[in-house]
Amino acid sequence: MATAFRATTKGYRADLEQHERRLLSSLCADVIQLLESREDEADPADEAAAPDGSASPAGSGSPAGPGSAAEDPAFAHFRAELAGLGGEEPLAPPEDDVLRRLLPDASTDPEEAGHFRRLSENSLRGAKIADLRTARMLLESTPISIDDDVAPVFGRALNDLRLTLASRLQLHSAEDAERVHDLAVGSSAKDTDAFMAEIYTFITWLQETLFSAMTEFLPERGTADDDENADEADPDASGGAGTSAP
Amino acid sequence: MSSAEGSTLSREETGLDSEFSQLLSAARPYQVVVWNDPVNLMTYVSWVFRSYFGHSKSRAEKLMMQVHEEGRAVVSHGPREKAEQDVTAMHQYGLQATLEEAE
Repeated sequence: MATAFRATTKGYRADLEQHERRLLSSLCADVIQLLESREDEADPADEAAAPDGSASPAGSGSPAGPGSAAEDPAFAHFRAELAGLGGEEPLAPPEDDVLRRLLPDASTDPEEAGHFRRLSENSLRGAKIADLRTARMLLESTPISIDDDVAPVFGRALNDLRLTLASRLQLHSAEDAERVHDLAVGSSAKDTDAFMAEIYTFITWLQETLFSAMTEFLPERGTADDDENADEADPDASGGAGTSAP
Repeated sequence: MSSAEGSTLSREETGLDSEFSQLLSAARPYQVVVWNDPVNLMTYVSWVFRSYFGHSKSRAEKLMMQVHEEGRAVVSHGPREKAEQDVTAMHQYGLQATLEEAE
């Protein structure tokens, strides 16, 4: 039986059973794989090479060697970029529900979101993969002991696992959340959804205990928000400006 | 609020050429909105607001409750570049966030 995360002298610690650690680690691996699969979908070379349809499928391991025949797709992309900021084609959101949740639109305007996605999705994807890889490393030892500086990384990875499971479980509203909860504690005969719901509930608990412990050690920085909002005439902030309760 | 009004006024008054109005648009203030979702935990969202934006506990919890109850809350303001950074950071934490021109 797992124990909650608790603070130690240099970080946080929880005891997980071996099968729990393996389960979390393999979930991380699944999400990494899913995020990596987006690379093919979002590869700019696909579009750049489209016109003559002769993009060689012999994708050798090394990234586009220079001096290849005709026009290198990577170069075509680079040239398009040089042609001006407006030359950037918007990037369509991922088809997969989970990927769309992990790599969300940055604007309610689809075109603006597409342009932003073209510029930033790749690095966001990389950052999430890095978080999940770190989490897998941390899950290799028992008890799980996490230094202060990696705690947010582990917490983000747990959150991505929850977002993934929630998306697969069609959890989109408060009512859905209740349904998932009932599913998790319900019948003993488990189908796939009930199993996912149970794991989701477990990770929720684990993340909650981690961030409850982390919150206790956050320094109270009471003035930063007042400074930031001072020039924005935020009606809420200006009301109680100056003295936020210590 | 007042700064956005100011820029509209000056554009009308002086009939700026397009280059300058482009400059103005880059300098226009943006804001980052975080949207409610049923997955992210309240403890987690408050922690993110405190640790990333440096908000006080009470301010972070108030913003978190605003997201929860009203469906969205503006969590930061600033030039376009800063809003882009903030929105990407929120996405890295798994929060649903968008950027928009400040009203």
